[in-house]
Amino acid sequence: MSVLANPRTENARPTANSKPVIRKRRSPTGESPVIRWGRRISLTLIGLFALLPIYWLIVTSLRKTETVFEFPPQLLPVNVTFEHFGTIFGNGDLLRFLLNSILVSVITAISSVLIGMYCAYSFSKFRYRGRRSLMFLILCSQLFPHVLLLITIYGLFSALGMLNSYPALVLAFTTFTLPLCIWMLKGTFDNIPDELIEAAKIDGANQFVIIHKILFPLAAPGLIAAGLFAFVRGWNDFVFALTLSGDATRTLPPGLVTTYLNEFSNRWPELMAASLVAALPVLAIFMALQKYFVAGLGAGAVKG
Amino acid sequence: MTLTATRPPTRAKGVTFFPYLLMLPAITLLAAVVIYPLLGALGDAFFERSLLREGRTFVGLDNILHAISADLWPLAVTTLTFAVPATVAPFLVGLVAALALNQKMRGRAAVRSVFLLPWVLPGVVVSFLWLWIFDANYGVLNGTLRTAGLIDTNIGWLDSGPGAMLAVIVARTWGTFPWMMVMLLAALQSFPGELGEAGRVDGANAWQRFRHITWPGLRPVASIVVLLEFIWNFQHFDTIYVLTGGGPANATTTFSLAVYETAFDGFDLGMAAAIGALWLLMLLPAVAIYLKSEHKS
Repeated sequence: MSVLANPRTENARPTANSKPVIRKRRSPTGESPVIRWGRRISLTLIGLFALLPIYWLIVTSLRKTETVFEFPPQLLPVNVTFEHFGTIFGNGDLLRFLLNSILVSVITAISSVLIGMYCAYSFSKFRYRGRRSLMFLILCSQLFPHVLLLITIYGLFSALGMLNSYPALVLAFTTFTLPLCIWMLKGTFDNIPDELIEAAKIDGANQFVIIHKILFPLAAPGLIAAGLFAFVRGWNDFVFALTLSGDATRTLPPGLVTTYLNEFSNRWPELMAASLVAALPVLAIFMALQKYFVAGLGAGAVKG
Repeated sequence: MTLTATRPPTRAKGVTFFPYLLMLPAITLLAAVVIYPLLGALGDAFFERSLLREGRTFVGLDNILHAISADLWPLAVTTLTFAVPATVAPFLVGLVAALALNQKMRGRAAVRSVFLLPWVLPGVVVSFLWLWIFDANYGVLNGTLRTAGLIDTNIGWLDSGPGAMLAVIVARTWGTFPWMMVMLLAALQSFPGELGEAGRVDGANAWQRFRHITWPGLRPVASIVVLLEFIWNFQHFDTIYVLTGGGPANATTTFSLAVYETAFDGFDLGMAAAIGALWLLMLLPAVAIYLKSEHKS
């Protein structure tokens, strides 16, 4: 870790030469040794805190069952095996949970972006009565406890005979994906200059053409980022999926809980393997698109 | 959406219903899945209503009075015992990480994305992982502490109230400090670097520079992330449900666990809604402060 805090990268800073006041004991970055070591030590400690549990998740999933229950635990991978991944993929239930997760999260992402983008366009490019209040209301809707909303949603879906169906899950997931998508997409559209739209109007383009042929292609990276956010939020959801899905429609998070919670005494490596499978799509998306994730955090997470 | 195709372009300034039309699908959907359920749940607080049978009976304030006398204070105390440390700890870890990363160095982007990993994992995976780490018999935490000679016998972390609370707070801290780090780092990087440089030239030490230069600039963002994290923790469900199920002996039963269990294990929707209404009332000041600060910015 200490190599990551290499101070030499900033040693060409002109101020170091032009200001003779800087004391001799300082490094070329102007940091005192205390600060430099403080930085290195804290990064190392936080890095260990962040990574050791993930390391433990992977190592446990790769280990033969009998070595997992040795005491004290072996910290290095010994007797590496992929048998637990075989077990979980051989288990029809988990495979079904996986396919359900893919199906429900993809539909949630697509529908949230489709519905959210028109709303975001309206908020971004028009000025009208009630616009700010509605945006405010959408922000508020992120702050209510999901469990509380679930009481009525459950009753409503039960009355409509929609429990244990895919549309029920997609609709419920929309409560938290749609506001997020609208806020993120509004930010994206705000960055597209109004002059482009004005110019298209002068050329005789109607709103349909402006929206679909000009605005959305320009906003494509933002639309993809918002869709991936919605996908990840849908993929990770637990409490709506636990309550509204049945055996046939259950997604991975509640599936893992119903399969393993309370009966995992000797199935830890299998559970860790299944957890890794549940985490991998999200990790892959994150790795590929972390730039958007970090930018989207500002636009999406804080603003709702 | 085909409606928009048939409309001529709106050139005229002034009132037009086109922007309303654009947002109609989204607003309708949110009304159906957020506003209606919220009002519905609040309404249910005044009825005796069970999941097991149709219909409901008006009982006035009975549910609410009963919830106040029986559950409110223990639940509020447990919820705050979780929510306050689970907000402060990730904030401090995230702040230290952000300050340490707010310096150009090789591999900073890589370190930042590695630190973000815990935040990306599904909540259920985070909970299972920490359930395994805290496991009394085979968990790596007891194993490491015993190997290091710090303890003689295994500790049943999840078997005692304080141990279980500690476990959910640690798991939650692990899962959310990266978000704090990214938000604070973004704020740090938006201020001009010359300020710190000037402070250094004037002979301010690191603490004085942090106290008088960095912190005042960071405070607006810090207060928003802390408030938002507190609001989320006040209603957090996943980690607690999987890690402790609210136990042992209700030691980790927060409002969200209580509402869930009353509604879906006890089938008492009216009582669940009453607890939920009181919970919302306690959450309201924090929400109001957040919305006010957001409105200003």
